[in-house]
Amino acid sequence: MANIAAQRIKREFKEVIKSEEVAKCAIKVELVNDSYTELKGEIAGPPDTPYEGGTFVLEIKVPETYPFNPPKVRFMTKIWHPNISSVTGAICLDILKDQWAAAMTLRTVLLSLQALLSAAEPDDPQDAVVAKQYRENLEMFQITARHWTNVYAGGPHVNSDCDDKIRRLVDMGIEEHQARAALSSYNWDLERATEQLFS
Amino acid sequence: MASSATETTKESSTSGSGSGDNSETKDEEKKDDSMFECNICLDTARDAVVSMCGHLFCWPCLHQWLETRPNRQVCPVCKAAISKEKVVPLYGRGSTKQEDPREKVPPRPAGQRTEPDPATAGFPGFGFGENGFHMSFGIGAFPFGFFTSTLNFGEPRPGAAPRGTQQHLEEQFLSKVFLWLAVLFIFWLLMA
Repeated sequence: MANIAAQRIKREFKEVIKSEEVAKCAIKVELVNDSYTELKGEIAGPPDTPYEGGTFVLEIKVPETYPFNPPKVRFMTKIWHPNISSVTGAICLDILKDQWAAAMTLRTVLLSLQALLSAAEPDDPQDAVVAKQYRENLEMFQITARHWTNVYAGGPHVNSDCDDKIRRLVDMGIEEHQARAALSSYNWDLERATEQLFS
Repeated sequence: MASSATETTKESSTSGSGSGDNSETKDEEKKDDSMFECNICLDTARDAVVSMCGHLFCWPCLHQWLETRPNRQVCPVCKAAISKEKVVPLYGRGSTKQEDPREKVPPRPAGQRTEPDPATAGFPGFGFGENGFHMSFGIGAFPFGFFTSTLNFGEPRPGAAPRGTQQHLEEQFLSKVFLWLAVLFIFWLLMA
């Protein structure tokens, strides 16, 4: 790994650990290997959003050319958000692409991602299905996002209606996550989700 | 957390008179260092340059950033438009001779010096603007035309004399004499 990249990540790592956001448990960074090429980030779901109370784990890959090129970041925790793929966790955020600037750090990236959770951009979607739901049925989107936060990110809000519907599909022999994804895509309409799964 | 704990001890130690002095200077040194950190490598800036928007970088770092995106040259901190021509090098005392280990990086752009005002510096007999530079072209026939097309260096062009004075009257008379000479000359040309 290029010297400048490793040097900088080391410094940033110290900066994040000392930052006040860590003190507030809003963000966190851990090393995955000793060479500083791969890190594990964590952000808390922002308050007053469906993600509140959840903890979202991120995979951060630092390229050789860092900080001249952005780090590659992906959600490891499954999340229901217009700008994050519900399948792969890929993120659509300008600063991780062409709007990256060399003075940005791990800390600012994690804070930007946290800001993305509280302010979605449905007009520039990564997950078209989620974005459509967000635009056409905001209430349904919030229910779904809160449910996903509860199941995958340890959020406090249990939705028994969603759980019941998933259980019925699981009883039919469908894998749990597949059932949840299908129901989420069809606004929790059990009939249409079943139709899609068995077609 | 740990950081907040050290901060409180720092505050208490600086407020104490005798024993706290040592840690106080240490903290200040640390603060000074971070003020001159390059915004890209986060180390103390080497071959320091500063952008027009006031952000400090190592020249090798900034050069690499500009090379990475030649089509979108923006400040890494504030995204203001920047270019190689518009960064200013910082020359600290005794720090300019440091050699850059990265050979391929071109030397940082030179500082731009503007010469002081020529009026105060003094270029006797040749100057522009207030020192008087006049160029006039005339149309005429030899030998008279030769004299009407002249370059006047040096002395400022005198303004017209105020109306009613002796000089004004003399000038009026002279201009009339030359006007008649010109008319006679043209008449002679037509007759010849």
